[in-house]
Amino acid sequence: MLQPSEILRVDGLTKVFGQGEATVRAVDGVDLEVPAGQLLLIMGPSGSGKTTLLTMIGGLLRPTSGSVTIGGVEITALGDAGLSAIRRNVVGFIFQSFSLWETLSVEENVELALNIAGVNGRRAHERATGLLTGLGLGRRLRFRSRDLSGGEKQRVSIARALANQPRLLLADEPTANLDSKHGHDVMKLLHKISREENRAVVVVSHDPRIREVADRVLWMEDGRIKDIGGLVADPVCGMSVEAAQAVTVDRNGHTYYFCSRGCSWEFSLNPDRYTRVAAGRA
Amino acid sequence: MVPVARRNLFAEKGRFAISVGGVALAVLLILTVLALYRGWSRAGEVFEQLPGQIWVVQQGTSDPFHSVSLIESERLSNATDVQGVLTTVPVLSRQMNFQAGGSEQDVRLMALDAAALGPASPDLKERFLATEGSIIIESTLSRKAGLGQGDEVEIGGVTLTVASVRPRGGDVLSQFAFVHFNDAKRIFGVGDVVNYGMVVLAGAANVGVTGAAIEVRDPGLEAFTAEEFAQSVRKEIDEAFIPVIAILLAIGFIVGTAVVGLTIYTATIERTREFGVMKAVGAGAGFLYRIVLAQATILTGAGFVAGLAGSLVVADLAARAVPEFATEFQVRDVIAVLAAVIVMAFAASFMPVRRVNSIDPAIVFRA
Repeated sequence: MLQPSEILRVDGLTKVFGQGEATVRAVDGVDLEVPAGQLLLIMGPSGSGKTTLLTMIGGLLRPTSGSVTIGGVEITALGDAGLSAIRRNVVGFIFQSFSLWETLSVEENVELALNIAGVNGRRAHERATGLLTGLGLGRRLRFRSRDLSGGEKQRVSIARALANQPRLLLADEPTANLDSKHGHDVMKLLHKISREENRAVVVVSHDPRIREVADRVLWMEDGRIKDIGGLVADPVCGMSVEAAQAVTVDRNGHTYYFCSRGCSWEFSLNPDRYTRVAAGRA
Repeated sequence: MVPVARRNLFAEKGRFAISVGGVALAVLLILTVLALYRGWSRAGEVFEQLPGQIWVVQQGTSDPFHSVSLIESERLSNATDVQGVLTTVPVLSRQMNFQAGGSEQDVRLMALDAAALGPASPDLKERFLATEGSIIIESTLSRKAGLGQGDEVEIGGVTLTVASVRPRGGDVLSQFAFVHFNDAKRIFGVGDVVNYGMVVLAGAANVGVTGAAIEVRDPGLEAFTAEEFAQSVRKEIDEAFIPVIAILLAIGFIVGTAVVGLTIYTATIERTREFGVMKAVGAGAGFLYRIVLAQATILTGAGFVAGLAGSLVVADLAARAVPEFATEFQVRDVIAVLAAVIVMAFAASFMPVRRVNSIDPAIVFRA
């Protein structure tokens, strides 16, 4: 049962690829809820199943079992046409590589998303220019998307995702192709959108720099959501690792956790440098 | 609506131009061949332009070009006496060769007995009734032989002066030239024999009934309506031309469809990811098909316009170089080719549409 403020609910979501010995459980029994106004960050290493989970939540991939409910509609029970309608009107997507339509101008990129949802003409044009201007792209409306910087492209991508006023925004590695400043700006923008416009935002990323912007952080590994409380930060690469599984080094009565032997060796070469960083992070 | 199809096509201007050129060439081929066929199909139209409704020939004559009809002049009175016949005009006609423009030319000389025809309109006189010692030729022959008004030409030992040059007719291989009946008698060297009798009907006389009555009256004569006589000439053109035309039209259609299809398919393949993004953000199959179809329609539409203009230019240039290149562009053919181009666009969209349909929208999550 969806709570009144709850936009997204995922129950026992599982995706299995392959058969027999080649079977891979990319997502394994994931449960989660995201209310309106919350930015949920799902972190985890590459191959952990984050993107597969996001793809199923967005109705682009059918799960092996489990259900996804968005705004009270169980989308896993819908046919292709129903899923298309959900993607048009209820969900907005922000992609890692921006995925803008390169032959179109900035404003046409947003207008097309509106056209797809049946909004045409002046209404579509005004909505697109309004959104883009609000995101600081008012002077780039006629530019070709390929002529923009990475940060600008991602803002166009966000404007496109917001075009049809979706209740749920799904962002796949939105900072991966951006430098730290632009990445931080994009995350702050997503956070602002979730708060001020009361939308649910789910971001999957393995970028530890954006943790502080999230309202809630989940860790995903081997297709499962794990308790973030059991995780510790690798002082060398900054990656979150499970304490129980991590490579450890004891120094001055303190235990340091590493994602790999490589990081632990690098730490051993210059421990002072990393203990200062770790202290700073703490 | 955002003009996605136009943007996609114009993103690669060079390829767009080449593709439009390909379609234009196909349209040019189809339209020019059709126009050439129409031009050549006007063969024999002179029999429809002359005032007679029935042409009387010797029994067993199949057409005016491939069989000789010889009728004693007095037998034509058998036709004249039939009810509904106003007059029967003796006609002499024969293929003749003559020297002009430094080479041998051939012409189909024809002469109507103006006295039997009675009063004639100025137009009829100017086009078909030459005075003694003169000849009325067609513009095709004029250009081939280098003859103009006032020039002299010797045919069958008789010197004739070109009285006027008629506009180009439909008889491409051998043009009709009109001389005076007495000149024709001298040139052909015939006595009291004619080739045909051109029957002019009175008032509301029925062509079929009168023709049948002429044949009953004199079983040695055969009556053709003017249309049948003209058609007997066209039959040869149709039999020789239509199979060739059918093949050329098929080639044009296949080439055009292949050009549009390959272009749209390539444009679709190149934009697979972008179509995938559209699917991901909720575009339905119909929305995407409309883009593919619009691309094909723009391409074929532009190709059609360029091909139509090109075929008019080519026909004009070709006719200047080769007088026999007689073309006639008919609106119904242009409409038919436009319809074929629309079919081409739909056929060419089939493969790209299948491709779009098979695109997995989750492709956008692959970096």
